[in-house]
Amino acid sequence: MLIQQLVNALTLGAIYSLIALGYTLVYGILAMINFAHSEVLMLGAFMALGLAALLPAIFGTGVVGLVGMFILSMAGAGVINVLVERFAYRPLRHISRLAPLISAIGVSIILQNGVFLWISTQSLRFPEPVAIGQVPVFGATISTLQITILAAALILMGLLHFFVERTKLGKAMRACSDDIQTAGLMGINPDYIIALTFFIGGALGGAAGVLYGMNYGSIKYNLGFLPGAKAFTAAVLGGIGNIRGAVLGGFILGILEVLASGYIPNGAQWRDVIAFTVLIIVLLVRPSGLLGEKIAEKV
Amino acid sequence: MLRWRWTPWTALALAAAFPFLAATLDAQYLVRVGGVIGLFMILGLGLNFTLGYVGLFDLGFIAFYAIGAYTTAIAMRAGVPALLALGLAMVVTLAVRALLGLTILRLRGDYLAVVTMGFGEIARLTINNLDAFTNGPKGLQLAPWRPLNFLSDDPNIQYYLLILLAVAAGVVAAKRLENSRVGRAWVAIREDEIAARLSGIPVRHYKLLAFTISAAYAGLAGGLFAQWEQFVTPESFVFWESILVVSIVVLGGMGSIAGVLLGALVLVGFPPLMQWKLSADWINYRYLFFGLILVLVTLFRPQGILPSSRREAELTS
Amino acid sequence: MTTKAPHGRVLLEVKDLAQHFGGLKAVDQVNLSIHEGEIVSVIGPNGAGKTTFFNVLTGVYPGTRGEILFNGRELRGMASHDIVAAGVARTFQNIRLFAHMTALENVMVGRHTRTAQFLLGPLLRSAAFRNEEKAIETAAKEHLEFVGLKALGNELAKNLPYGAQRKLEIARALASEPKLLILDEPTAGMNSTESQDLVALVRKVRERGVTVLLIEHQMRVVMDISDRVFVFDYGVKIAEGKPKEVVANARVIEAYLGKEGAQ
Repeated sequence: MLIQQLVNALTLGAIYSLIALGYTLVYGILAMINFAHSEVLMLGAFMALGLAALLPAIFGTGVVGLVGMFILSMAGAGVINVLVERFAYRPLRHISRLAPLISAIGVSIILQNGVFLWISTQSLRFPEPVAIGQVPVFGATISTLQITILAAALILMGLLHFFVERTKLGKAMRACSDDIQTAGLMGINPDYIIALTFFIGGALGGAAGVLYGMNYGSIKYNLGFLPGAKAFTAAVLGGIGNIRGAVLGGFILGILEVLASGYIPNGAQWRDVIAFTVLIIVLLVRPSGLLGEKIAEKV
Repeated sequence: MLRWRWTPWTALALAAAFPFLAATLDAQYLVRVGGVIGLFMILGLGLNFTLGYVGLFDLGFIAFYAIGAYTTAIAMRAGVPALLALGLAMVVTLAVRALLGLTILRLRGDYLAVVTMGFGEIARLTINNLDAFTNGPKGLQLAPWRPLNFLSDDPNIQYYLLILLAVAAGVVAAKRLENSRVGRAWVAIREDEIAARLSGIPVRHYKLLAFTISAAYAGLAGGLFAQWEQFVTPESFVFWESILVVSIVVLGGMGSIAGVLLGALVLVGFPPLMQWKLSADWINYRYLFFGLILVLVTLFRPQGILPSSRREAELTS
Repeated sequence: MTTKAPHGRVLLEVKDLAQHFGGLKAVDQVNLSIHEGEIVSVIGPNGAGKTTFFNVLTGVYPGTRGEILFNGRELRGMASHDIVAAGVARTFQNIRLFAHMTALENVMVGRHTRTAQFLLGPLLRSAAFRNEEKAIETAAKEHLEFVGLKALGNELAKNLPYGAQRKLEIARALASEPKLLILDEPTAGMNSTESQDLVALVRKVRERGVTVLLIEHQMRVVMDISDRVFVFDYGVKIAEGKPKEVVANARVIEAYLGKEGAQ
């Protein structure tokens, strides 16, 4: 029972971590909350659904088709995120802190209602990507679906780590995150790096959306809101702007949520209340998060 | 000069005459819409203290509308007279808001947005889950209260007029505070918090004050809503309604009383009007419309459609 | 190096003041006193801790150690708005006005600590409220006139020309009736005519009995205006004295020009 719960928690945590990475990457570079991120992940799931109907004809139903669906959905979500940045945030970058926030909320509403109006108002069944089997581990049964989700999430986190730490572009990204003006003086084009950051963040969000759809078996136009808010909690918990923090926070939140619904009376009913309460408490008690740094305001 | 002085009174007189005109035109439906517009005018005037004057982002404002509605409903079901229940609703929302403000107002702008959104969800889910007090998703029923029977038999007209009265009172109170030492302190904080502090304004107190006063409006609107509908459920207080109030303030012009009134008129009045005249599907497009307004106004007209104009002084003496 | 005490009684006395950020000693071991009616300049290279020092004086930073005695009262640990009420007002290096308020309203905000009407007065439009509002407006107009901006009173602050914005900041600060006015680089970005204009204004401020402490980079202005000068370097006060004494001081030259320059 406990192991089963733990696996559920890790699966959920992995999805939260991927979403949290998108928040944290963008926050690290622009110090803004990308409110539309939850819709980007929702769109990732819908693109995967569309591709699932389309791709088997080209790639077949095997692993190639699955990976193809995954990569294309990620790319699509990344592109959407880049477009959102270009048209709704960039013109407001130097206006005020409030302006991009309002614009971001507006974008989020537009994307969500676009799907509601023109794709579907109802839940749609998400196809089973792999034949679901059960694997016995230490007396618990773990589905191959959960293993697939965990594996995919971990591979993506590994790739992100490699990119940020080992490549030249990753280094440029880190430089911008430290100090975007100085990085600009060093010959890095900040607009380009910001766009790249939105692309990567969006792609990870899109991947999370696909995994979310696989995990729950159905998707809806408003699916982004709750995991988005919870993953934001995870990002803040870990220390917003901090990549390792986002992963840590995601897994902590996943574990917390599964434990809460399993062991607190009426836990399932109060699960979301608990997640939001954790968010508020973390922001109040330690807004810099577990791995973040304090920042002083300049006069 | 003279024309501007009389504009509010003319608008008020026209608004008061409207339901009687509508009755002769067989357009009673519009009286209901008018009442809802009025409720959102009150909500917008309330949020304008927090978002408009002081520049604090609040994405969970509808929670206080809910608290006002539920306080009124629970009090009236316990036998409290209707007017007293309205007063109680305002007191309870003020108290909850003050407590919330005390805990969260030290957070920076975007964090504050997230926390208030979280609070809005917590409030709604709690109302939904606390069956013992709120009857959960099934909602609470109220006995009718008809205070204006001498004016009309139609409860919609009665509540329309009652809400109009509340809007007028709300506008007067907001206007008077705006043109005072307190109102100037608020706007100064919005413009530059550090300069405000170093001009002698106790910034935290004044933020808390504006944040809290907002709740009196939400509590009043919530109470009137409950008494009018005679029924409250958690369904009326979803995140989207908070977004609607934010959109009203942003579209009208942050810090502009006239702007908020116009914003509510447009955003709340437009969708049902379209639905009534064009097609029933129109109502589904309203949120898309709000989202577009938030983005387009921020990008192209950040001061809103009726920006607040600063009071001019007589400079020659 | 200490010159003989200037005229007037001590208004501000700073003892062993420090502001550290982690390992960085932005301000350290600062001792100085300022007398009533003086105009005192603080000079020093960039990063010498001058603005940080002002920020500690006005409660923006808490200070790590030391005392700030103003009229015998300890300011350190007080909130910024209480420091204003105690009689210390300031302006900023990069102008911080209330951009979307009129010039007059900016100055009216400056009256905050000297007025009292709260919620009930304005809500009921009581006689006390209306009288106070009138008094605030009159006082604010006087301050605008004093800095020469009365005609621009109804302009939004953001629409004023640069030099006028600097003066408006001073008018706003004066509206709180300070005993000590702190100016952070008041002539920054000004041409020489504008600078001279501002120097004249600072003298006028002193004539009203207000003591002035300013950070200034233009040496011509410093020499022209100051009764005394404090020199900061690496967070420490390295010299003080009359302007002419200070510019002849070897440590000061070294701080500005490096060791070779001093030889």
